Amino acid sequence: MADQLLIRMFYVGLGDFIYCRIPGAHENGGDFHIVIDCGTLSGEGYLRDAVPLLKKELPEENGKRRLDLLIVTHKHKDHMAGFGLSLWDDVAIKAMWMSAAMKPGNPQAQRAKKLHELAGQALTQAAALNLGPEFDALFGAYAADNDAAVQNLTQNLPNANGIEPVYVHAGQSTDSDLKLPLSGATFRILGPEEDIDHWYLGKPEDSSISKLVQLADEGKVESFISAHRRSEALPANVAPIDFLNLQSRMLSSALAFSEGDGALVNNTSVVLLIEWNGKRLLFVGDAEWQPRFKAGKGNSSWNTIWNRQRTLIDKPVDFLKVGHHGSINATPWGEGIERPAGTSYEPVDILNAILPTGSKAQAAASTERGRYKTIPEARLLADLGGRIGNSKKYATVFKGAGIKPESIKLYKEYEEQSFASAQPPRTDFEKLTTHAPWIDVIL
Amino acid sequence: MAKRTTPGKLSRETRTRLYATRRTLPLSVQSDVGLRFNVNVYFKDPLVAKNNPGADIDKDFEVPWEPGITHGPTSARFAVVDYDSSTGKLEEPAQWDEALSAYLGPKGADLNSSRGRSLAQFRQVSVWATVQHTLDFFEGGHGLGRRIEWGFEGNRLLLVPTAGYGENAYYDRMSKSLQFYWFVADAGRVNTCESSDIVNHEFGHAVLDGLRPYYFESILTETGAFHEFMGDLTALLMAFRNNVFRKKIVEQSKGDLADATLLASLAQQFGEAVTDQPYLRTALNKKKMSEAASANSHTMSQVLTGAVFDVMISLLNIRKARELDRKEANPAYKLASLERLFWYTVDHMQMCAIQPLDFLPPCDVTFRDYALAILRAEKITNPVDPDGFRKAIFEAFLCREILTEADRSLLDPTPVFTRPGLAVFNSIDDISASRGSAYRFLDDNRRELLIPPTADLTVADIARARKLTTEGRQQSDQIVLQYIWKEEISLNGAQFGKFDGERTAMLCGGTIVLDQNGNLIHWARKPGTEVLGTDDLRKAERADGLARRSKFLEDLAKRIKLGMIGDTQFSPLGVLARAIPPYEVSRRDGLLTFGMSPHFNLNHDDDQEVGGRQWQISS
Repeated sequence: MADQLLIRMFYVGLGDFIYCRIPGAHENGGDFHIVIDCGTLSGEGYLRDAVPLLKKELPEENGKRRLDLLIVTHKHKDHMAGFGLSLWDDVAIKAMWMSAAMKPGNPQAQRAKKLHELAGQALTQAAALNLGPEFDALFGAYAADNDAAVQNLTQNLPNANGIEPVYVHAGQSTDSDLKLPLSGATFRILGPEEDIDHWYLGKPEDSSISKLVQLADEGKVESFISAHRRSEALPANVAPIDFLNLQSRMLSSALAFSEGDGALVNNTSVVLLIEWNGKRLLFVGDAEWQPRFKAGKGNSSWNTIWNRQRTLIDKPVDFLKVGHHGSINATPWGEGIERPAGTSYEPVDILNAILPTGSKAQAAASTERGRYKTIPEARLLADLGGRIGNSKKYATVFKGAGIKPESIKLYKEYEEQSFASAQPPRTDFEKLTTHAPWIDVIL
Repeated sequence: MAKRTTPGKLSRETRTRLYATRRTLPLSVQSDVGLRFNVNVYFKDPLVAKNNPGADIDKDFEVPWEPGITHGPTSARFAVVDYDSSTGKLEEPAQWDEALSAYLGPKGADLNSSRGRSLAQFRQVSVWATVQHTLDFFEGGHGLGRRIEWGFEGNRLLLVPTAGYGENAYYDRMSKSLQFYWFVADAGRVNTCESSDIVNHEFGHAVLDGLRPYYFESILTETGAFHEFMGDLTALLMAFRNNVFRKKIVEQSKGDLADATLLASLAQQFGEAVTDQPYLRTALNKKKMSEAASANSHTMSQVLTGAVFDVMISLLNIRKARELDRKEANPAYKLASLERLFWYTVDHMQMCAIQPLDFLPPCDVTFRDYALAILRAEKITNPVDPDGFRKAIFEAFLCREILTEADRSLLDPTPVFTRPGLAVFNSIDDISASRGSAYRFLDDNRRELLIPPTADLTVADIARARKLTTEGRQQSDQIVLQYIWKEEISLNGAQFGKFDGERTAMLCGGTIVLDQNGNLIHWARKPGTEVLGTDDLRKAERADGLARRSKFLEDLAKRIKLGMIGDTQFSPLGVLARAIPPYEVSRRDGLLTFGMSPHFNLNHDDDQEVGGRQWQISS
């Protein structure tokens, strides 16, 4: 074990909390300790349970636990809620990397910031409507405790640790301008690009959401929710119930803002490539993909990396952190897409490059169904399971553990069809079958 | 007793009395006595208006008056609700001025002035007038010759002229509405409600949903494509009805209709502003069924739109050739103008395209069903066919592979009217009296009507229509009876994904059209798979049913594979178009019911590029 690299994905419900230990990679001759994200949408109790487990792995130094690098990929609750909690006082954080999109006052992310503000305003108006659990996560992205986490990450934690956070962007690496006490390993940033507005939002004239931001900025869009407010007049020529029904079936700028902001934040996730001992480890946050790269327009993360960092991405990896908890949005995929046979399709090219069929790579997914019915996408996980070396057949595992698969939430609708297939290890299934509080991947 | 009418001005009472007899009055008289009134609208859209001086505002546009017409506008079948979901603003409704027979803006503003055209009330009236006019055409004798219902409970379709920000316009059955959004292009704000093409396209969906509500429960690409065709057809036909516009087309095409891009352009303003294409979809295409077999419904619809456009060109060419023949036979003969020939053709084409809608089956319509219906309708009104119109129509559908060579026998001379072979005779008045009596007619004749004895039949609709011929003569009354039954199907196999092991139903049924004398006008059927008998007819019927089931399962599996079927989420917060899958699933009485969602995007280019991915949430 001592000379093996460890990736530990803690079970935190729907969220990411990842620990990575690189043996002997610290300049002092010891191991190098990294945490990537600490968040959940499933309740802070999961984090309160998991963070102490992490601390046990960190070396003690001057009465605190030493963490060599903390990476926060993007500012969604399922990736950073843990930093809004008082769990880090006894941890000495030596370096912090965050997405360039999170840099306060970043002049190249002004419109992105505006979009986030608009989405926040819109959903603050909407949160009062009590729309059910499917929407809680949407509102959660703009809730006050999220702001507290951002404040801690950008100011309080750096101050307490006497460090300056680094807002990283594509093209940077520990071989050039990123300084770490690292030896025998190279960390490369594949995403996001530094100019957030340009690469991920596009010009107002090229994208509807970008145009909407501009209009709101100019004061031309005053309200964001179609729902009727009591103070407003009702039309006299239709029944009130018909008007309310109509409003619930009209396009919502609030949802468009939040969806646009959600996608943009995902697409500006830190995408980290670790090269160590001839191996390549890819941590992708929640980076999303789209059918193709569109020059000069707003793009998704995977396509931007494929077109801007081709030499780094166009090779098999030895480990993939499955993006966005196994969502279909976050792993480039061609299944279910009708296209002429024999034609190239960028997302498929990307997946085949990093995980060619028959690869011995390892992968793992931190996930739990419930918040979103369609996350994870079991068919995608089954496809990945066929490409990697550490896949598991959970039908057998559940049987061996004497657990009925029907105890899985929404099993029949979303899991059953792929349950017999091999999948990457999943934090939710490991928890159910072995009560394991984490998944370990060892390289 | 009605108040005495002063010369030049009719009292309301007199107008109402005239309204009761309006069908006997020519349109010009209806206009003279105030049963139709003038509304200014863009006859295509503001961009076409800008680029085509003289073809901008339609000042001859008239809509039917109704006794209950009032502010909003609100009329028997429509209510305008001008609510913008982006700004949260409910605009003041246009005010109806009974004395002027006109809608006015706030403080009595004249909506026909250039200032008036910039008011929200102009848009309200414009969108209302466009659909009021189109509905009148559909319901008139040159159309279906009957009142039509909507595909939802209630009789007023809500019109939302400026529904919010978005490159969108859609018909939504659940909210009983047509919603038109606005967006900002380089040239400024574009209100999709100001494009008569967009308004008529979306209204075409609403009309078809009213005529054949079960089409929305189909997952067949071709039925979805027929809905799209109906939208495009409505837009094209209504554009052709405009006199100035037709004149412009004749000028521009110089007699060769196939070159008139203006005519074929749908939603030009929208297309140019957003997609950089000169038009959204075009009737000027040569697509065939074999090329569109695996296409999406929007692409497939172009085959039928193109075919109908070809029919129109053929009908015009026949008329042109006939004129030349007459001239040759009689040099003194004065040739009719191209404009006149074009009008005859358009009028013929409109009847030819709209009247057969009554002959369509109640579910799972195919392009072939429509082609057969058109040929049948033409045969009824033009049985001898001295000019070869039917042959021309047949050739157009053959060329598109909608009909086959084997169908050429449709052109053989056969009796126009035949009596259906029935076990129990029911009088036409009895059949059309109510759904209950129509059911008894069907039930009494199950064997003859090829309806399984055990099927629990539903009468989907019974209507009596009074259609006219091209010469304006009254056709025999038609009784249009639609019936439906459901055949349960188990979904077994991995191809059905998460629906594996569940049950659904295939809709079966037919539309039988009889005339007032009991003649069989048309009979379109969608059979099931039950054994009906051992004779050839019944064996063939079952074979057809089995083929339908295979196609149903094949298309369903394809939709599932493409991730196109999902739950739709609507909330008080409104709708995120990207989160709505194109097909919905619901569970009723233990059976899965699949159906179409509203089509949210006017630009369908990327429809199939991202599979289920586009209906996922990012956060």
